[in-house]
Parts: sequence; structure tokens; C-alpha cells
Amino acid sequence: MTEPDPLLAALRAVALRAEAARRLTPPAGMAVLASIVEATVALFGAEAASIALYDATDDRLVFTVAAGEHGEEVVGLAIGPAEGVAGYVFSTGQPMALADVAGDARFGRTTAEQTGYVPRSLVAVPLVDDEGTIGVLEVLDKRGDAGFDLHDVELAGVFARQATIAIRATRIERDTAHLLRSVLTALVGDGANLPDGASGRDAAAAIDVEAVVREATADFDADDDGALWALADEIARLRAADPGQIDLVRELLAVLVRRAEHDRDLERSRAGRRVAPRSDAAR
Amino acid sequence: MSVGLPAWSEPFSAEHRSELARSTPFAAVDRAWAFGSGDGAGVTVAIVDSGVEGDHPAVGGALSASVRVELDGEDGRVVDDDPVDVVGHGTACAGIIHGLAPAAELLSIRVLGADNRGKGQAFAAGLEWAIDHGASIINLSLSSRSEAMFGVFHDLADRAYFANVLLVCAANNVAVASYPSLFAAVVSVAAHDIRDPTVWFYNPRPPVEFGAYGLDVEVAWKGGGRIVATGNSFAAPHVAAFAARVRSAHPGATPFEIKTILAATATVPR
Repeated sequence: MTEPDPLLAALRAVALRAEAARRLTPPAGMAVLASIVEATVALFGAEAASIALYDATDDRLVFTVAAGEHGEEVVGLAIGPAEGVAGYVFSTGQPMALADVAGDARFGRTTAEQTGYVPRSLVAVPLVDDEGTIGVLEVLDKRGDAGFDLHDVELAGVFARQATIAIRATRIERDTAHLLRSVLTALVGDGANLPDGASGRDAAAAIDVEAVVREATADFDADDDGALWALADEIARLRAADPGQIDLVRELLAVLVRRAEHDRDLERSRAGRRVAPRSDAAR
Repeated sequence: MSVGLPAWSEPFSAEHRSELARSTPFAAVDRAWAFGSGDGAGVTVAIVDSGVEGDHPAVGGALSASVRVELDGEDGRVVDDDPVDVVGHGTACAGIIHGLAPAAELLSIRVLGADNRGKGQAFAAGLEWAIDHGASIINLSLSSRSEAMFGVFHDLADRAYFANVLLVCAANNVAVASYPSLFAAVVSVAAHDIRDPTVWFYNPRPPVEFGAYGLDVEVAWKGGGRIVATGNSFAAPHVAAFAARVRSAHPGATPFEIKTILAATATVPR
């Protein structure tokens, strides 16, 4: 066993607090996304607008926010990343507008079957940033007879850009590993991965940022349901509770803590009685 | 409404079209000469997309073969496929090409599907296969934004060019570079706002050199249906079809020459 690295210990403590804060804070970005789809609906005079984001863990496009009279049904729906029009736009990065002439809305079948809403026309644009395509913005049924034209495709692209910026900002802020990585890189510079001496830097400064981040966040598995995180999640859920409930929970917690302290004192005094004679014998 | 986006369609819009005007150095080249009686006969056009529905009336039996790319890790493998379309987009492209160049043979290379997730590696494997398997013109409505794929697509665009294969690519309307649609060796196409399939413009200011019909295009779609579609990816197949007709009339024309003929016969902007 090597000496515990004080820097790593400090980083672990920072990471733990950041992770706890992340879990305690509701996803603020969602509010921004919700306002973007609401603005989209208002500006287009559309029946609905939605944003589907790619979830790499499940390899699905998940409809995350929606607005408009017929928007809500779609939230939570997950489709394959190359499935239907949303999947095509996500996979190819090609924005497009479609309108049904035959009246059987083949293009909307995938989601229509699951939401009960069959659009007559839609525009779908990719959410794209420097790191790739992260989702799709869809606008359904512009009010009136006119379908979506080229300017609508471009305008939807403007909203998609806003949504992308909001999502990226939220993801960075909420990704503890990303946070640590950027702070460390800012501190030690991009030359951190160079071999000793290559940058003329002190060998101690030539740290492998990736390895340090990995080690500092080693305990933060996304699916970790350990007791500490369960508690954090419960506290996060409490934020939505009414003040009366919070008071009740606080009183219950106070009782539980007093009880735990009492039990611990009792345990200690019992242990003390058991241990004392043996200590005497040892002498 | 005008929005401040780097929209590749903008040079072809009513407000900006006059800026495309110039004294063409090829006044003697007209469409009658360019196409002759060329209806696409003897030309194979590959459609790298979501597949093509072979029995769709709009495709008119012109589909000669269908393959698909299966990704094994990072490596793409090309296998035989049923003449099916998982979205409808590839059938839309096939219908446009068949409508304008009815004697051209169509080849479908499906690079989308449950396994491929629209990965650049699948696009690249499909494109490479098309170059190596007799396609004369390749319609590509897809592109990749992956920096890691820059070199791969650049190499493939050069390979196609040197193998006498013309790549016709839909430009992307997003403010991020995408490959291979913005490479010099390809014919890059955005949509204009005139509802006429015989109107195309040449833009002397690259990267997007051609504007074609891409607004409210009635196209074939999945399940034997038809829909009205708007986007650059519906403009590209128009140019691919006219390129097939040029090549049908002038079998010896190289990609560079076909591009020049298409520029010379482009609609005069007003």
C-alpha cells in the first residue's frame, strides 16, 4: 500500500462535494429547453414542438421536452437512433420538412402510434455542436394551410442551436469528471500528458489528467445506488415537497439522529464494560 | 423572414440570385447538347441512404441491386439486402432520379438501420463499396461531422474522382463542417426556392456550387406512399439525375467535365 496522495485525497473530496451538489440540484437546463420548445411553438404557430436527446447508455433517442397542445404525449418516448424521421435527421444531420399528401402520415407512424397524435406536416433539425449531433428538434403542424418552407427549416435551426448551447452548458456543469478535467487542465496546462522533461516542466507537474480524474471519480458510477447517493436523491426529491412535509421529515430526521446517537452511546458504554476486564487481564 | 444563419441555400434565394450572374465562358454549351438524347441509359447511379423500396411505382423497376453495410466494431461489411427502405428517404431520392433519368440503373447502398446508428464508418464503408462496384454517379445525402472521419472521406472523395465516379452531395444547413459534402472534388448541392425540377443554379463561390429543386418536392416515400418534402437532401438527387443524363449523352465525360457542363447549362439567374 503506497502513501495516500494528499492531492488525490483533496480532489476526491472536491469531486464528492461536486457530485453531491449535482445530484441535489434539479436539472436546470430542462427549464431552458422547455422554454425553447414553447417559444418554437409560439413563433411557428405550431401544434407541437419537441426535443429528443440521444442517450448513449441505452442507445436511444429520448423525447425530453415538448410544448403545444399535442406535445406532452411524446415526452418520455424512446426510439432507435436511426428510426423514423427523427432518427434519420439525427443520424444524417440533414434537416428536412415533410408534409403528407396522401393523408396517411407515413412519416409520423412511429411516434404517432405511441402518442395517438398524427401530424400533417413537420420540420426536423439536428442539434449539432462541435462534438457531434446530440439530438433532434421537431416542430409539428404549423397552423393554417401553409406547410414548412426553407426559411422554416432555417428558423428551426436557430432554435436548435440555442437548445444545443443550453444542453452543452448543462452537461458540462453537471458532469463532475468534465469539471475536474477542465480545472486540472487549466492548472497544469495542455502539456500535462507529455513525458517527463519533454516540456521542460518539473516532473511532478507532468501528471496524467485523465488518470487523476478517473481515480478521483472512481466511486461515482452513474448507476450507483449506494446508501449515500440514495440519501442525496431523497433530499433532491424533497425539494419538490411542500413546506409542511419538509418540516415533518426534518422532525423525523432529528428524532432518528437522536435515537442513533443514543444507540451509539449505549453501544459504547456496553463495549466499554466488556473491554475493561480484558484490558485489565492483559496488563 | 431572414435569419442570420450560414445557410447554404441563401445564395440561391430570390434576394440573392442576381449575385450569381456572370459572363459564362461556355455560352455555346446548352442543354440540348449537354443531354442530347441522354436519358441515363448506360449509367449506374448509386444511392447511399436508408435503402430503396424496389417495388415503389416511382422507382419504376430501375433498382438493379440492394446492399447494406453491417458494422462489426469499427469495420463496415457490405452484404446483400432486400429492396427495402427503413425510413423513406432513399426511396424519395431514387424516385427523383428515376423521374428525370428514367433509363439510369439504380443501386441502393443502405447505411442506416438498427445496427449502424448513422455512424460515419458505415457511411464510409458504403461509399467505398459504391466506388468499387460500378457506380458512375453516387448520390449522397448524408455526411459526417466527425473530425476523425475527415481523412477517410477526403481520401474517398479523391478516390472517386480519380476512378471517374462523380459524387453528388447534399450540403448541410448547419454551421459545422461536414464531410464529404464540402470537399472540392464533389458536387455540393443546396435547395433553392423555385418549384421547378428543371431549374438549377451554379454558384461561382464555393463550397456549395449548385442550387436545385428542394422545396415542396412531391417524392416517393416508404410503404408505396408519397409525401411533400423540403431540404437540401431532396435537391441533390435532381443534380445527380442531370449528371446521369450528361454522362449518358457523353460517356467519356469525367467528373470535372460533367461538373463544368452542369455549370454551363445552369439556369440564368434573374
